[in-house]
Amino acid sequence: MTRVVRLTVNGTSHDVEVPTYRTLLDCLRYDLGLTGSKEGCGVGVCGSCTVLLDGKMISSCIALAVFADGREVTTVEGLAEDERLHPVQQAFMDAGGFQCGICTPGQVVSAKALLDANANPSDEEIREWMLGNLCRCTGYYKIVESIRAAAQRSRA
Amino acid sequence: MAHRVIGKPIGRLDGIEKVSGAARYSGDVTLPGLVWGKALRSPLPHARILRIDVSRAMAVPGVLAVLTAKDLPSILVGRRMFDMPLLARDRVRFIGERIAVVAALDPDIAEEALALIDVEYEDLPAVFDPVEAIKDGAPILHENPGAYEGAPAERPHPNVQSVLRFTLGDVEAGFREADRIFEHTFSTQLAHQGYLEPHAGVVAIDEEGRVQVWASNKMPFRLKELLSHALQVPPAKIRVNLTPIGGDFGGKGSLMDLPLAYHLARVTGRPVKMVMRYTEELMAGNPRHPSVITLRTGVSKGGRIVARRVKALFNSGAYAAFKPAPSVNLGGASMGAGVYRIPHLSIESFCVYTNNIPCGHARSPGEPQMVFAGESHMDMIARELSLDPAEFRRRNLLRDGDLLANGHHLEHVRASDTLEAALKASHWSEPKPGPWIGRGAAMTHRHIGVGFTNARVRLETDGKVTVLMALPDTGTGAHLVLRQVVAEVLGLPIGLVEIEVATTDDFATDSGVGGSRVTHTGGRAAYHAAEKLKEQIQAEAAKLGTPASSLAAIARAAAKEGRTLEASHFYDAKAHGAVTSFTAQVAEVSVDPQTGQVTVRHFTTAHDVGTIINPIGHQGQIEGGLIQGLGFALMEELRTEDGRISTLNLGDVKLPTIQDIPPLTTVLLEDPVGPGPFNAKAIGEGSISAVAPAIANAVADACGVRILDLPITAEKVYFALRAKAEPQAPPATERS
Repeated sequence: MTRVVRLTVNGTSHDVEVPTYRTLLDCLRYDLGLTGSKEGCGVGVCGSCTVLLDGKMISSCIALAVFADGREVTTVEGLAEDERLHPVQQAFMDAGGFQCGICTPGQVVSAKALLDANANPSDEEIREWMLGNLCRCTGYYKIVESIRAAAQRSRA
Repeated sequence: MAHRVIGKPIGRLDGIEKVSGAARYSGDVTLPGLVWGKALRSPLPHARILRIDVSRAMAVPGVLAVLTAKDLPSILVGRRMFDMPLLARDRVRFIGERIAVVAALDPDIAEEALALIDVEYEDLPAVFDPVEAIKDGAPILHENPGAYEGAPAERPHPNVQSVLRFTLGDVEAGFREADRIFEHTFSTQLAHQGYLEPHAGVVAIDEEGRVQVWASNKMPFRLKELLSHALQVPPAKIRVNLTPIGGDFGGKGSLMDLPLAYHLARVTGRPVKMVMRYTEELMAGNPRHPSVITLRTGVSKGGRIVARRVKALFNSGAYAAFKPAPSVNLGGASMGAGVYRIPHLSIESFCVYTNNIPCGHARSPGEPQMVFAGESHMDMIARELSLDPAEFRRRNLLRDGDLLANGHHLEHVRASDTLEAALKASHWSEPKPGPWIGRGAAMTHRHIGVGFTNARVRLETDGKVTVLMALPDTGTGAHLVLRQVVAEVLGLPIGLVEIEVATTDDFATDSGVGGSRVTHTGGRAAYHAAEKLKEQIQAEAAKLGTPASSLAAIARAAAKEGRTLEASHFYDAKAHGAVTSFTAQVAEVSVDPQTGQVTVRHFTTAHDVGTIINPIGHQGQIEGGLIQGLGFALMEELRTEDGRISTLNLGDVKLPTIQDIPPLTTVLLEDPVGPGPFNAKAIGEGSISAVAPAIANAVADACGVRILDLPITAEKVYFALRAKAEPQAPPATERS
């Protein structure tokens, strides 16, 4: 069974016909060609597939595309504005907040949501918010550093 | 010599595609007409396959092909020892072994079809424990393993894949000199590398009949060789196209699903993508070997080690295919000697077939297991001798000129300096801040990786320099390191040097990524190529006669005469076994006496390093390895019951999260004596192996409980505390 869903992804509206079992992640990746969001664990644990649905973080690997019908989705591809990286993206580059980069789309989307909610998070608050984003490369120290630096830059 | 680019904390300029979502990993590759492959896996650990019926699967709309072993040539694959069929033929040997493979228009259809393949099995007796597997009468996994291509000759039992030995002196004579002898046995768990990108690959056969491959594989040229063998296609007809790799940690060097993707592509005439679900990674990847390790050490009255015998059993699972070393064993076994001068030494390492998931290489293969055992053993001996564990180590540390069991005499040994630096930074001699708090130290050292790499460096007419190389980006920042090396040699700002990623068509060979070799081999190849280019530029500038000519002007002048300023270098690094890097780590932990929960309050890591090329990347390697070590010590485990892994969800494996990281102090003792460019050493595998014993030793210090089997979970500590408090109580064996 298929259904047509209307998704606004990074500000662009799409009508997509999808099987009802299609996950939002697969819809973004295969129907819309937005491969920035990654499937890691596939069960909502690792955070590599994190996107914003109406501004709130969700694991797109365990959300159905039909669930997002009529709503706004922000993915890693939608963070930069006018070709300028979001401060979070720039900070991850400057401070070495990623290595292999697979978890990074989810990390930067979650970090953006954090700074939207709290422009000046403490290290404790960063660790609490980012708990759902696993990273196997960095050991997380430089992720904390990156988000701290991004917050400073955003406030400057 | 002051450097301009080397040693500068340059951020990940190479990562703009990664932070913006534009980077295309193998799983992101798409091609016109692409279809999906999925594998059916065995639900039984050891069984005969009586019958396979694929007719119901073939009837699913959208299914293009279903293949079983009878549709494929009877070829065995492996990285060194070729003992694994592409698909199980007549018999399965572990839960998760591939039995059939489906191509379909989308992955969901493919999975639906898998559920409709009917297989009839007949159970065979199975063996799961390596100690049981090498007893007389144990079920035999492979009838004649010695006949497999690449099989080592020595085979004391048919279930032994390989034996690796390291010997110094005369160990029996050594034990006769000993005043006291200590023996302990340790075990470590099955653990996945934990890269978050599951294995992914795309295979297409192009119009010219060439096999085009995109794969999460870190050794493209070895992959081409292995594919040529597995597919019976000449190497020239295979091209491996490099993509970024979503984490490797030793696990991404095999063929995995690629031969199956090829056969599906051949049969369907369509490009085929195969991406493992993470559950499949956990069930049938190639994780870190579990181990059972016994150390027996003889010590003199003065606290000096006179003899040691080590026996390691590595539970290798159903196939040896994933181990790449010529020994088909784990080189980390040599660390049974630790960082100590041991005149009489015998290490024996056995890799054993069992009906479990086949194991492979994981960051610092064999070392976290062996160093946990060896460094726990050292502390246990020290306590028996009433010596400070640090003092016992001091008396036995390696020194300049000492002979290792691998045949190398060590130079530039900084074992003592590294230990003292860690002790000082961790306030080792100061009183502990409270009850139930302990400190533990552990050490290790590691060689610098060797291999061979090609680099080609070209001056472009816009004045930029391009470095062409075929080393995949596994995430370490190696491409940035190569840019820094070339920029330094040519006196250019980093922004004027770019990397162009080659394919296997562009060079004859390359050993790829692994064994902490890339800064060394890739860095030296790039260094020497840049030196050659520099000479060409100088000669060209001299011809022009205007010394102030810009690089762009020089390149354009050459281009006008039809020439490109370009230089290549093939660097083949021989073993540099004389120089290693030492690590000393100290954990400070607290133990909750009510629950047994261990909290790492502070961690200190000290490293004897060469010239640091990029401090951000260097520190990133230390931190990443360290937290993997912490997960191995305290939480990670693929739990198995009769060959069935019960933690098939990444959440159940318990990788460390951002809330698990302790406050960290890093001490770097920089000593420019490495074989790498600008005298760099290696760092990628330096921080992982000593973490678990440092924590185990700290737990013992905190609460008097010695945990001999990893991971050190709260329940193990809790029951051990209870057993200690009530010595009459029966041993705690219950498990949740």
